[in-house]
Amino acid sequence: MSDLIGVLPEAIVTATAILVLAIDATAGSRRARPWLPWVTVVGLAVALASPVAYPSAGLAFGGFVVVDQFTAFFRLVFVVLAAFTAIVAPTYLKREGVPDAEFHATVLFSTVGAMTIALSTDLITLFVGLELMSIPVYVLAGLQRRDRYANEASLKYFLLGAFSSAILLYGFAWLFGISGSTELAQVASAVGKAGLASPEVVVALALVTAGLGFKAAVVPFHQWTPDAYDGAPTPSTAFMSVAPKAAAFAAILRVMATALGPAQLDWALVFALLSVVTMTVGNVVALAQPNVKRMLAYSSIAHTGYILAGVAALAAGASAGAAVLFYVFAYGIMNLGAFASLILLDLEGTRGATLDELNGLWSRHSAGALAFTIFLVNLTGIPPTIGFLGKFLMIQPVLDAGFAWLAVAIALNAALAAFYYLRVVVHMFMYDPEAKAPRVEAARVLSFSLVVVALLTILLGVLPDPVYAFALRAAEPVVIR
Amino acid sequence: MTLQLPFTLDHVLTLLVVIPLVGIVPLLVFLRDERAAKQVAIVTTFAELVVSLVMLAQFRIGEAGFQMVDSVMWLPSLGIRYEVGVDGISVLLVVLTTLLTFISVLYSSGGAIKTRVGEFMLSFLLLEVGMVGVFIALDLFLFYVFFELMLVPMYLIIGIWGGTRRIYATLKFVLFTLAGSLLMLVAIVAVYLASGDAGSRTLSFTDLVADRGRFSPDFQFWAFFGFALAFAIKLPMVPFHTWLPDAHVEAPTAGSIVLAGILLKAGGYGLIRFALPLFPLGAQAWLPIILLLSVVAIIYGAAVSTVQKDLKKLVAYSSVAHMGFVTLGLFVLNAQGGVGAVLQMLNHGVVTGALFLLVGIQYERTHRRLIADLGGLANRWPLYTTFFGIFVLASLGLPGLNGFVGEFLVLVGTFRYQGMPVSGLIWGPIAGIGVILAAVYLLWMFQRVMYGPVREAYKALPDLSAVEVISAAPLLALTILLGVFPQPVIRIIEPSLERMLAFAAQTAVAAK
Repeated sequence: MSDLIGVLPEAIVTATAILVLAIDATAGSRRARPWLPWVTVVGLAVALASPVAYPSAGLAFGGFVVVDQFTAFFRLVFVVLAAFTAIVAPTYLKREGVPDAEFHATVLFSTVGAMTIALSTDLITLFVGLELMSIPVYVLAGLQRRDRYANEASLKYFLLGAFSSAILLYGFAWLFGISGSTELAQVASAVGKAGLASPEVVVALALVTAGLGFKAAVVPFHQWTPDAYDGAPTPSTAFMSVAPKAAAFAAILRVMATALGPAQLDWALVFALLSVVTMTVGNVVALAQPNVKRMLAYSSIAHTGYILAGVAALAAGASAGAAVLFYVFAYGIMNLGAFASLILLDLEGTRGATLDELNGLWSRHSAGALAFTIFLVNLTGIPPTIGFLGKFLMIQPVLDAGFAWLAVAIALNAALAAFYYLRVVVHMFMYDPEAKAPRVEAARVLSFSLVVVALLTILLGVLPDPVYAFALRAAEPVVIR
Repeated sequence: MTLQLPFTLDHVLTLLVVIPLVGIVPLLVFLRDERAAKQVAIVTTFAELVVSLVMLAQFRIGEAGFQMVDSVMWLPSLGIRYEVGVDGISVLLVVLTTLLTFISVLYSSGGAIKTRVGEFMLSFLLLEVGMVGVFIALDLFLFYVFFELMLVPMYLIIGIWGGTRRIYATLKFVLFTLAGSLLMLVAIVAVYLASGDAGSRTLSFTDLVADRGRFSPDFQFWAFFGFALAFAIKLPMVPFHTWLPDAHVEAPTAGSIVLAGILLKAGGYGLIRFALPLFPLGAQAWLPIILLLSVVAIIYGAAVSTVQKDLKKLVAYSSVAHMGFVTLGLFVLNAQGGVGAVLQMLNHGVVTGALFLLVGIQYERTHRRLIADLGGLANRWPLYTTFFGIFVLASLGLPGLNGFVGEFLVLVGTFRYQGMPVSGLIWGPIAGIGVILAAVYLLWMFQRVMYGPVREAYKALPDLSAVEVISAAPLLALTILLGVFPQPVIRIIEPSLERMLAFAAQTAVAAK
């Protein structure tokens, strides 16, 4: 029983997903449609609140899962992202005729998987969570069945995702071979005994890094990202650009800090180099994108690079883990908001807006343009926003761990990125609308929620302490000792 | 000695941050109502000006330390404080900010801004928060937040209400500034890490300056570089000045006024407030290069001004030269030079702000900015000519007007400079040539614009309107007042400046 209480939030999210499907099946799609997002949000809120009523901590299910502050933090992140997705999606779903119930239920199932990753103390739990998170996302990418870009996105994402899962699993098998156990702690002690630079540890390390790198879209494992993000229905893109990435970093932190923590000296520099390459490639390619959706896809690769810097700096202690957690939280909200802002424009199929199609958005839909601008300012990293704090907090452990060049690379990359983020603002505010500009939907709920969340990013940028203090506590389990 | 007020305002500096923010609320409500938006903005900036004057009256002259300090823990888990305060260096810059902002808003309300008035005023109020905040922030984190807060509104002001090449100009402005300030962010974080062990770290200026002995020479070298680069771009120093002419030429008049009057000063202020006292050894190491670049800026700025065909560009390049005096005065590291530099910042703010205002007024009537297209305006616009003439004379450093005092003190300080690589007896005369060149290009410009035959098309154009006179009059009064009685102002600046220079000298000795 106490085992079940430990995973109560996950159980509630699963139940919500089933409830959504059941409502749709019994009440009929048309009657159910307006209610489904709110059922989803309420279910997620109950899930998030349930540990308050039924607290539990520590190991459960014979050591397969653990409930700690790290789990709690990621539960918060995933629930917030799923709820935000549920609120912004309906405008698009209705316009494009995408089935609502399937969308919401799939998001919820994926969320359960992501939450499971944060619970894991065992390679098996972690892998199950990763797959449970990934497979619904492949579905989300292809939910708009008649759109060929969506089909391409889904297929590419699925094939490369499956491929990377196999690589990751093979890496896990090596870890099992080294240690004779799938428990992260056991693996860690075996890796510690095997010593630095022992060949089998290096092989396992390479495989695990590649596998998780695929999931997080680390260069050079990022090739699927632009097409998948670009072709998927925009609300799906919004969700899959943030939740799977957050989940991937939950997995990276658990595996790298715990199981492979003793080999930290082996991988820290590799991660630092991957970080620089990822952020630079993402930003440089984003510069050349005329399509905003694709540009944001590359920008999300760049942000993977920034987050990876914190993983490379894990030697700095809790501040590094906390920086990763805070950045994941901030990135999730601002990136989801940026993609969701594109939903306002009535474009054909899954295609994103070109820069010219955004011309004069401020005069046509002030609320949407304002929110989008605030999300872009967040992504640029200009204070007082959570996006800025993410960078500020990230530079700190990176310098502390002795990677001064990496900190400078982050700064220069942020300046580079400012060019393409602010170019969008130029088009929205400083150009007049084109004659053939796409229709902009009023979409009250969508634009209201975008503005509220955008203002929240500023509020949390001014008063970030509750979130950062939480992130610091949550980072304790992933401190390398 | 203090001017006696019948009351004292507590938390007056925090009030200065809050007032423009409060003004934004009604502005959002009346965003589409031009008249109301103008009124809200004028009232808000006027209230801000009045409160800043109250602050000036409460300032105890002769004290070197920070006054009217508000300090509360802001981010406990990081040890970052919300800490604001003013000393003799910053107190006048705050008043300059509120004055120029009020004038800009007032002038823009008179018809200079015709589209999206609500948004314009909104940007200006947001900009004011950042500008005032920069001069009162005593915690480096808070300073950085305000420093960057100035960026987005200015970006919009140039990009939406600017001239034909506004988008190129505004992107260049933002990217230059951001590249510098992000590197400064890395330096700030490095300072944070070096300030103590985990749990006792701080970014409060007062704590940092007391503990600056912790910063190794190598650390200071790079930290100073990070800070100085950001400020050098903002100031701007040659060779980082290329964004300035573009931004100034394309910016709307009000944008040019605050850009030249205040935003540039944030760079000079940052150097004297943070870079010099915190990293004295780093400053020593970079000093020869900065002195060289300052002198280059003075000569280069003047030379390039001389050949400008565009009136606004001429004033913009003259700013490069004038800012060269600021860095020169600061880095000769003596009281005369330092006081002169701070005075030069104030005077440049007043005079160049006024020049941009008048050039803007002229442009609005003639729609010409090329000097060759103008001429003979003196006979038509006696009032305008009087104003413009006095500001031009002040800008070239005529004794009796304010521009002279700052440049003179900087030159005195420079001549007294004894350090590396060559003594002030070399730097001084070269900088002096810059003063002469200033007379050349400014008087020549004045002659071509004001005298000679007047074009037929300009004959019917009216002289200054009432709003324009009201906008320019305070600046004219300050120009004359500061020129004739600089002593009270020097008494405000000097103790605080000497304190900063003492910080800059002390560790240099202790480390030897």
